[in-house]
Amino acid sequence: MFFKSSKTIIISLLLIAILMTGCSSGKPTETSSTNSPATGGDVKLVLAAYTTPREAYGEIIPLFQAFWKDKTGQTVTVEESYQGSGTQSRAVVEGFEADIVALSLEADITRIEKANLITHDWRSEPFGGMVSTSAVAFAVREGNPKNIKDWADLLQPDLEVLTPNPKTSGGAMWNVLALYGAAKRGHVEGFSADDAGAQDFLLNVLQNVSVMDKGARESITNFEKGVGDVAITYENEVLVGQQAGVNYQLVLPTSTLRIDNPVAIVDTYVDKHGTREVAEAFVDFLFTKQAQEIFAKYGLRSPDAEVAKATAAQYPPIQDLFTIDEFGGWKEATPTFFGDDGIFYKVFAQVQGIQINE
Amino acid sequence: MSVTASPRSALVKTQSPFLDWLDQNKGKWTKWTLITLVVAYVAFLIVTPIAALAVGAFEKGIGKIISSLNQPDVFLAFWNTIWISLVVVTIHAIFGTLVAWVFVRHRFPGRNLINGLVDMPFAVSPVVAGYMLLLLFGRNGMLAPVIDALGIQVAFAMPGMVLATLFVTMPFMIRELVPVLEAFDIRQEKAAATLGATGWQTFWRVTFPALRWGMIYGITLTFARALGEFGAVLVIGGGVQGRTETATLFIYRALDERQYIGAYSAALVLGLFSLILVLGSDWLRRKRE
Amino acid sequence: MLPHQQPSPYQNMNVQTTSTQTNKRNPSIPWGQVGLRSAALGYLALLLIIPLLIILQDGLREGLAEFWRQVTLPAAWSALKLTLWTSTVMTVINIVMGTLTAFVLVRYEFPGKSILNGIIDLPLAIPTLVTGVMLVILFGPQEALGAWLKDKFDFSVMFAPPGIILALLFLTFPFVVRSVQPVLMDLDLSQERAASTLGAGGWTIFRRIILPPLTLPVITGGLLSFARAIGEFGSIVIVAGNIPFRSQTAAVYVFGEVESENRLGASAVSIVMVAIAYGLLMFAEYLRNRRSKGSKKEAV
Repeated sequence: MFFKSSKTIIISLLLIAILMTGCSSGKPTETSSTNSPATGGDVKLVLAAYTTPREAYGEIIPLFQAFWKDKTGQTVTVEESYQGSGTQSRAVVEGFEADIVALSLEADITRIEKANLITHDWRSEPFGGMVSTSAVAFAVREGNPKNIKDWADLLQPDLEVLTPNPKTSGGAMWNVLALYGAAKRGHVEGFSADDAGAQDFLLNVLQNVSVMDKGARESITNFEKGVGDVAITYENEVLVGQQAGVNYQLVLPTSTLRIDNPVAIVDTYVDKHGTREVAEAFVDFLFTKQAQEIFAKYGLRSPDAEVAKATAAQYPPIQDLFTIDEFGGWKEATPTFFGDDGIFYKVFAQVQGIQINE
Repeated sequence: MSVTASPRSALVKTQSPFLDWLDQNKGKWTKWTLITLVVAYVAFLIVTPIAALAVGAFEKGIGKIISSLNQPDVFLAFWNTIWISLVVVTIHAIFGTLVAWVFVRHRFPGRNLINGLVDMPFAVSPVVAGYMLLLLFGRNGMLAPVIDALGIQVAFAMPGMVLATLFVTMPFMIRELVPVLEAFDIRQEKAAATLGATGWQTFWRVTFPALRWGMIYGITLTFARALGEFGAVLVIGGGVQGRTETATLFIYRALDERQYIGAYSAALVLGLFSLILVLGSDWLRRKRE
Repeated sequence: MLPHQQPSPYQNMNVQTTSTQTNKRNPSIPWGQVGLRSAALGYLALLLIIPLLIILQDGLREGLAEFWRQVTLPAAWSALKLTLWTSTVMTVINIVMGTLTAFVLVRYEFPGKSILNGIIDLPLAIPTLVTGVMLVILFGPQEALGAWLKDKFDFSVMFAPPGIILALLFLTFPFVVRSVQPVLMDLDLSQERAASTLGAGGWTIFRRIILPPLTLPVITGGLLSFARAIGEFGSIVIVAGNIPFRSQTAAVYVFGEVESENRLGASAVSIVMVAIAYGLLMFAEYLRNRRSKGSKKEAV
């Protein structure tokens, strides 16, 4: 009695399966993910970036599109995704088919390398593959009411500090290492210039942290909403925010960590999509003076010496600028600080221990 | 149990000794105290946040709202949301009915166990739902070889988001239909059968009309829930602008980009849309009764 | 929540009807039934059972000891505790206010009552992310209400557990109300009147006549709110501080672990969350069944 109905149902099942796969995006202007090769016709690039350079890429991409159209007659569309650097990196490893990754720190590129998705030597690009640099700095309220001048000022009692969560945010990792390094190098009064002193300093600052967001951008926008007294962040986040009209001040500590942001094409996906030529051109474009000037415009210090000199007024020199080499590079820093038993998590757990007992 | 069941008709003057006693013994103003308490609570908890959202959206005037929403990626994000929701509603309409039917009319081993499982999505955090799909369809996922062979992309693409939304909206249709089916007098079907109707005819002409209202409520709830899905699609979709961004993900991004008017307006639009659906079905239900 | 688990009284009749009608095809194998059942079960399997199995498999793939270790990691355990206590506080408030609201809606007449009734369902229509956004607009430290609370009472609503409880209250408000409302409406006033004529005082009437039938819907509504609250993400990620050990809920913790490749940890905590929520839902279902079985016996 129900035979006909079950047959219909099974047919409907098949139809729907076909429908779903056939219209896999459903958008009216969709092109399938396996693209036609880069010669002739339109080409699509997928860019996976961390949260901070959003505005810079917003301006660079149209320039690149014009440049490429001029050179080859091809129209390039770029699909952008901006998430925490760690989040983005993992997504790519999980199957997010990004052609180009522009991340906050080298460790996130290394992860993709380890998954065998990036197979070329991206460090052989100009500036060691680093397309922009910045520094860890503070965002404070207009007029700097809490008078924050340097790292030691973060220890004021009842001060509310914002910094993102290192689990998901590359920016958070830079922050922690900057803090640690500054103390270890003896630039924080009251703390010995060694690991013990640095850990002690970290412990004390963490006690003042009130919100830990997923990403650097979320952290600073929270700060803008009135949360906290100071946000540890990228110098360039503050500059971009100021450009967007937000009223806060940038404070550069005497000693801080240089943030180097790498960019690389993802070999597996560009080969799969047939977009290698365009992708490589895009990365090359990022190192040109034109693009570097745009990065500088949006708060990022350029690794290009000329552009750096030209924009020196915007970017005051930092007294003691150290790099990730202070910690043996990311390949050592990541496990030492952010592994399961890493220094950060150990100290953080201690902080909670202290706070619970208060 | 239907969460949105509304009182059938307003209870007029009840002759409730309890209420009289309350009035007499606890003070004349008990009634109004209680009402005020409830109204204040509802106003504070529910109305003020929504009002705050509206105020935030209109802060720079309606012109700014229109210009923020009149962007290609906004349209795309809303289109993605609507498309996903429509696909999900269609699938649940067909299969939800099927499942409800099989539950009510058939007996088979494991029936009771599955009975409980249908409500599972209600207990699963959307993040967990997205993560489960990632485990299945991510690059090293269990079903990765299968979908690779088929050439489809599931994770970080629309199919994944459809699946995630299918999962979280599963209970609604079935929960609405089962009581209706249970209450339906099967003798009508039997009668149709004895009069020579085939199974399919019986279903369409006799049973289905009785299900209509259950289906409408089910569709409404499913649709409203699908429109608002966030956590699961964030995990499985990745929020790629122009590709896997839904309305909720757009709102999330707009907040990140400091496009507050855009975020609030999109939130209002999305909220209004769902609201019309839910209140509309409530109203229809009340009219019927 | 599928209603009573007893088979329909017409079950057997249905089976007979089916087999007589499939004479056309094959009298002995009820294709229709098998076909339907497979389709239904296939759908459920793909969408429901397989995802659940995979997370079970993933969480337990290194054995129970490792599973438990992940669940009891300080951050995870803290997150679970925070989730449970905020959900509990929220449920208690929800039960009280929800029952009161239902009572007011059913028993009293007042202007604007139908508007109030409609508003109850609003939270169901609002995407959870939007809920979070709204609450931050209202209670963020810079906003009128939030700033005032902070200045006057040093009370932070946002980015702290109160914000979590508030968001959860918003989201689950309809559940208790809509659970209690139909039962209150169905209450037989004649029982009340009978008790009154027999000399029962108001308070006794409340305790013995009104309250007992309400216990079940109140509990099931409460359990539903609780189960829903455990997994909440979209609003919490906006309003809570997300600081591990302090203002990070289990769902946000899982998100962090997914994002930081602690797969096992993510799966393990997810399993615990689902087990708790699902256990509660099943308990609510059980209570409801007991109730209906009990009443069935009375009817007979």
